[in-house]
Amino acid sequence: MFKVIKLLVVLSVLSGFCTGVYAATVTTLVKNDKGKPVEDAVVYVVAKSKAARKAAKRGVIDQVDKEFVDYVTVVKVGTPISFPNHDQIRHHVYSFSKPKTFEIPLYLGTPAKPVIFNKPGVVVLGCNIHDWMSAYIYITDTSYFGITDKQGNASIKNLPAGKYNVKVWHPQLRGNSDATAQSVALSASSRKNVNINIKQRRLWSVRRAPTMVGGTYR
Amino acid sequence: MVLIAGLLLLVQASVFLAVNTANIQSARQQIDDALQITAGQFHKTIEDREQRLLSAARLMSRDYPFKQAYATGEHGTILSALENQSARVFANIMMLLTLDIDVIADTLRPELSTTPFEFPELIERAEEDQYGEAADIRFFNGKPYQVVVVPLFTPAPSAWIISGFLISDVFARDLQKHTHSHVSLLHVSERGESTVVASTLDKQLREMLPVELNKNQWDIDRSRLFSLGGQEYVYLVTTVWGNKTRGVVAVLQRSLDDALKPYRRLRNILMMVFLVGLGLSMAGGVFMARSVTKPVKLLAEGAKKIREGDYNHHVNITQRDEMGELAESFNSMVTGLAERDKVRNLLGKVVSPEVAEELLRKDIELGGEEREVTILFSDVRNFTSMCEGKKPTEILTLLNNYLTRVSAVIEEHGGVVDKYIGDAVMALFGAPLKHDNDPSRAVATALGMCDALSVMNVELVERGLAPLGVGIGINTAEVVAGNMGSNNRLNYTVVGDGVNLASRLEGLTKQYGATVITSGSTRDAAADYAYRELDRVQVKGKKEVVSIFEPMGLDAELPDKLANEVERYHQGLAAYRQRDWKLALSIFESLTNAVPETRLYTVYLERIHRLRTSRLPEDWTGVHTYETK
Repeated sequence: MFKVIKLLVVLSVLSGFCTGVYAATVTTLVKNDKGKPVEDAVVYVVAKSKAARKAAKRGVIDQVDKEFVDYVTVVKVGTPISFPNHDQIRHHVYSFSKPKTFEIPLYLGTPAKPVIFNKPGVVVLGCNIHDWMSAYIYITDTSYFGITDKQGNASIKNLPAGKYNVKVWHPQLRGNSDATAQSVALSASSRKNVNINIKQRRLWSVRRAPTMVGGTYR
Repeated sequence: MVLIAGLLLLVQASVFLAVNTANIQSARQQIDDALQITAGQFHKTIEDREQRLLSAARLMSRDYPFKQAYATGEHGTILSALENQSARVFANIMMLLTLDIDVIADTLRPELSTTPFEFPELIERAEEDQYGEAADIRFFNGKPYQVVVVPLFTPAPSAWIISGFLISDVFARDLQKHTHSHVSLLHVSERGESTVVASTLDKQLREMLPVELNKNQWDIDRSRLFSLGGQEYVYLVTTVWGNKTRGVVAVLQRSLDDALKPYRRLRNILMMVFLVGLGLSMAGGVFMARSVTKPVKLLAEGAKKIREGDYNHHVNITQRDEMGELAESFNSMVTGLAERDKVRNLLGKVVSPEVAEELLRKDIELGGEEREVTILFSDVRNFTSMCEGKKPTEILTLLNNYLTRVSAVIEEHGGVVDKYIGDAVMALFGAPLKHDNDPSRAVATALGMCDALSVMNVELVERGLAPLGVGIGINTAEVVAGNMGSNNRLNYTVVGDGVNLASRLEGLTKQYGATVITSGSTRDAAADYAYRELDRVQVKGKKEVVSIFEPMGLDAELPDKLANEVERYHQGLAAYRQRDWKLALSIFESLTNAVPETRLYTVYLERIHRLRTSRLPEDWTGVHTYETK
C-alpha cells in the first residue's frame, strides 16, 4: 500500500550576516494545487548573497522491512550517507541519478563505506530486488532546510537576519524547484510565515510483493 | 384416387415445411447464441492480449539492465534495448517517451527522437491511473496496434514505455481459431468511412464487407442477417475501440449455410421420405385404378351395350377378387338376358306379343281366370274347295298372305290372335290385355278385316286368282282365360260357351249373306256402331235363343239411305215376327227390288213363303232353329 512518507523538513539558510544572532525563524506551509498540505517537501532557504557554508553532517538512510527510511532526505553538498540494512535478506541499493550514480550490490548489514553526495540535485534510490523500494535524496548548497510534516508545515530556525528566497522541492513536484521561490526579509529574532503552493505529479503505486521472507530485526 | 394423393401430398408438404422452418429458426437462434458467445470470447481475447502486453511491459519497467541502458541517455543504446525487449515478448511496437510525452525512441520509426508523441491523451490517461498504466488501440503508420503504456521506474517514474501488438490478419485468424467465426476489424473514421484493417475473409469479401454493412442498418452487439458474396451470414458488430461512429469495430460473422448443413441433411432425408411416400401412394393409386376403376369402367361399358340391345358383349375381367366375381355375375346376367330375349322373340312369333308378355310377366301355371272377353272368329269361305287343284306351297303362300294381313288388322286394334286353325283365325279382345272398349275394337277389327280383304282381293284378281270371301263371328261373354293344356305344354286361350257361340255365329254368316255377325251382347257393348238384327236363332247344341246382328258401320257415319233401309228392314222383321205375312212380304219384296244383292231379304221372302203355308205353334216368335253347325 501507500508508503508512509516520513516528515522531514529541511531548512537551508545561507547567512548573509555571519555575525548576526541566529534568532530568525521561517515557518512554511506547503500545499499542493488541490489545496492539500504536502508532506515530505524539502523547504530550503537560500540567501540572496553568497555566504559561508555550514559544515556538513553525516546522513543515514535505513532499510527496514523492505522499505527505505526515510523516504526523503535532504543533505548539504558533500554529505556522506550510509545505508544500513536491517532486514535479514540482502538489498541492492542503486541510483541512476545524475548527481550521484552508484550501486551497492547485494549486501547485508551496514556497508563499510558511506556514499558521499558532492553535487547538488536529486538522487533517486532504488533496490534492484524490490521494485517498490524507493527513496529520494535532495542535495543542496544551503545549510538551512527542513521537511514538511503531515500538515505540510516545516520551520527553519536560527536564521541570521537578511533577505532570503524560500524554495520547495518534492518528489512529485511538477516543474522546476526554482519556480517555487518566495522572497522573505528577516530581521533579527523575527518569525515569518510563508505559504507556498506547488503543483504535484500523480504518484503511481508500485505493487508490493506479499511478505513471505525477510522482515526486520524486531 | 387423385384426391387421396393430393391430401397425402398436402399433409407431407406441411410437415416438411414446418420442420424446415423450425430448423432454420433453430439454426438462426444457434448462430445468434454462438455469436454472442463469440463476442464475449473476442473481448476476452483482446483483454488477454492486453494483459500479456502489460505483464511484459511491467517486467521491462523493472528490468535492471534496461534501466542501465536507459541511464546512458544514448538514443542508439536505448533503441537497441527496446528492440531487444520487443523481441523477448513478440511485441510489434515499442516506444520510450519522456515524462513530458516526447518520443525518446521508437522501434517502428527508428529515426524518431525528441518528437512530441502523437497521442498525448493516451499518456494523460495513464497518468490518471493508479499504477500509471493504460491500454488501447492506436494507429501507427496507418496500421492498428493494440498498445499498453506503463511508466519506467528507475525507481522513480522517469519515462513511459509503450508496447503493442499489430492487429493484422494473423490476429484475426488467431481469433477465428477460438471462435469458429469470421472476424473482421473495421476502422470507422470521423467521416464515417469504414475500412477493413484485418480480416479472415478473402480479398473479395473483405472489400465487399464495408459496402454491405453500410447498406444494412447495424447496431452494436445485435445480430443481423446479410448476404455477402452470395452467401447468407449472421453477423454481429462489437466495439473494440471508440464507438460506432468513430473507432474500431469487430464484425463477427457465421455462415448460415454452414450452420444449416446438418439441417439440410435432415431436410434431404425428409424430402426423400416424402418422395418415396408420394411414389408409393401413386403406385397404390395406380394399382387401385387398375383393380377397381378399370373393371368398373368395363362393367359400365358392358351395361351400356346391353341397354343398346347388344347381348353378345361380354366383360373380360380376369381378376380373382370381388371385381372378378362381379364381372362373372355380370356376364351370367347378360347370358340370361340374351336367352330371355331370344325366348321372348320366339314366343312373340308363336303366340301374339301380348300373350307372350303375359306369359313372361307371370309364372306360367295351369288355370285361368274368369273375365269378359270379346271373341272373334273368322273363316275363309269355301277354302277347302278353293284348295283343290292347287299346289300346297301356293296354298300356304296365299294363306300366309291372308293371315298376315288380317293379323295386322287385329293387332292394330289391340286384339290378340289366339290361334290359327287352318284358314280360320280366333282373336281375343279383353284378354290378356283389357281395354275400355274391347267389344267396339272387335267390331272395328271385323270391319277392318273386310276392308283389308277387299284390298287383297283386288290384288288377287289382278293376278288372275279368285277373290276370297270371309265370315266373321263376334261374341262378348264371360269366359275363362288362362293357360290350358298339360304341365309340359301350355296354351294361353279362352274357353267357354261364349267361345263356341262366336264360332257358331261365324258359321251362320253364309246363311244370311252377311260378312260379320255379332251377338246381342256384343251389340249392346259396342253401341257406337249401327246394326241390323238378322235373326233370332237357336244354334245347335244350345237351348238359349240368341239375337244376331250385322254391324253396318259407325252409327254416326251411317248414310241416311242405308239408315232408312235398315229401318224398313226392321219394320219387315217386326211384321214377320207378328206373322203379318202380307206386310212382311210387301216390305221384303220392295227391299229386294231396291237392293237385289242383299241375300238377307231373299232369305226372309223364302221363309215367309214357306211359313204362311205351314201350321205354326201358338208360341212361335220367329226363332230360327239350326240343326247343323
